[in-house]
Amino acid sequence: MNANRPDVRSIVAGTCVLALGAVLLLDQTGVIELSFGVLAPVACAVTGAILLANGLGRRE
Amino acid sequence: MEDSRHEGPGEDDERKDAEPGGADSTAGGSEDPRGPEAPPPPPPADAPTEPLPQQPRRLLRSRSNRVIAGVCGGLGQYFNVDPIIFRIATVVLTLIGGAGVLFYLAALVLVPSEPVEGAAPQPPGEGRNRALVIALVIVALIVAWPFLLGGGVIAAGILIPIAFLVGAGVLVWWLVSGEGPSGDAGDIARRAALGIGVLILCGVIALAGAWAAAAGGGTIVAILVVLAGAAILAGAFLKPVRWLVLPAIALGLSAGAVSAAGIDLDGGVGDKRYRPISTVDLRDRYELGIGKLEVDLRSTDLPAGDLPLELDVGVGEARVVVPRDVCVWTDADVGAGAVRVFDRDSGGVDVDVIDEPGSRPDITRLVVNADIGVGALNVVHDPDDADDHGFDRGFDEDFENSSVAAGNSACTGRGVSERE
Repeated sequence: MNANRPDVRSIVAGTCVLALGAVLLLDQTGVIELSFGVLAPVACAVTGAILLANGLGRRE
Repeated sequence: MEDSRHEGPGEDDERKDAEPGGADSTAGGSEDPRGPEAPPPPPPADAPTEPLPQQPRRLLRSRSNRVIAGVCGGLGQYFNVDPIIFRIATVVLTLIGGAGVLFYLAALVLVPSEPVEGAAPQPPGEGRNRALVIALVIVALIVAWPFLLGGGVIAAGILIPIAFLVGAGVLVWWLVSGEGPSGDAGDIARRAALGIGVLILCGVIALAGAWAAAAGGGTIVAILVVLAGAAILAGAFLKPVRWLVLPAIALGLSAGAVSAAGIDLDGGVGDKRYRPISTVDLRDRYELGIGKLEVDLRSTDLPAGDLPLELDVGVGEARVVVPRDVCVWTDADVGAGAVRVFDRDSGGVDVDVIDEPGSRPDITRLVVNADIGVGALNVVHDPDDADDHGFDRGFDEDFENSSVAAGNSACTGRGVSERE
């Protein structure tokens, strides 16, 4: 990896995991009420973004 | 690469053509008899040569050793064994179920033919993609062949999980390390094993996260997921820690599922059955973590008027057995599962049922307020009726209907109680 260039795959994955953790934290604090109707799209978006970044990152 | 290791007949012929000139000229003396414009003589066989760059072997359909399309010949060259073994295996598989035909057709479509001499070689990336497709086809065939044999239930029960496990292992390892299913069988097996190891680790982490969230540690799990995300993000600029991604997602999604279902392990684990005799014995709230909770009110001396009953089950079933002269008012929230009130039911995920029948002042109206994480709420007159649930026959989902359930016969109507 180029030392001056951040790893795009890690940026996307880290942001997604961070967002997932934030949703869990908001649910725990009572700001939002997590249901399967909310969790399912979040899970699909997180996995999809990570797979997409993984695939695109390899092509570089 | 196969082309550099295996010598086909074409290469042999080429060598034979070149031998007379080369061998004779080197033996003739120091002066080159072919003149100054002749190409330099080939190096002697024992002279040290530069090693060729290591390239992955490629499975190709053989042009020189073929009976139909060169699939078995190519496999023989690839594994360096007699192709007749693959031919016999193909015929046997064809005779005992037809899988041999499928296998041969799949290889015919997916495996490229050996290139004609002088043709441009394929780009290297294509080999890896093809290997991935071949691996998936092999997994699919392993899954399919017990069915082709007609009733190989035991074989299917063993082979299908193994095939899925190997496929999942290869996929997981590809996601984690970027190493696809290329190389020889040993490499693929190694990667599948490592992938299965990662999968098992993620499963353990997911179970631990789910248990922690259900036991009240949801905030700690959420903070751990946030920290993992921050570490991965920081690693993008310092040193990538991509191995952390899958465990973090496993932890986050399992805790999220527990939270979405509203699973709470307070109340313990196991089956609990309550048969209160009077309202003194009847609690306002019954709670169970995992298991079956039954509250049987058939022998309870119930007073007229509204009687609250709160039920909280993490994973399992909450069953309320009521006498026929009791009207039941229901407000149930089920994360994933079903709600059944006499002859009406509803099921799926995020099930929220409110059934508000009215009643006369002189009869008992049981106000059931249930919170089930994963499982079912059953309100019945007879405990045996609870076994007949909508998962077998489809759900009615007609709680919005204006009429009162036939089983809730003690009620008088819906919406506003006559008492009010």
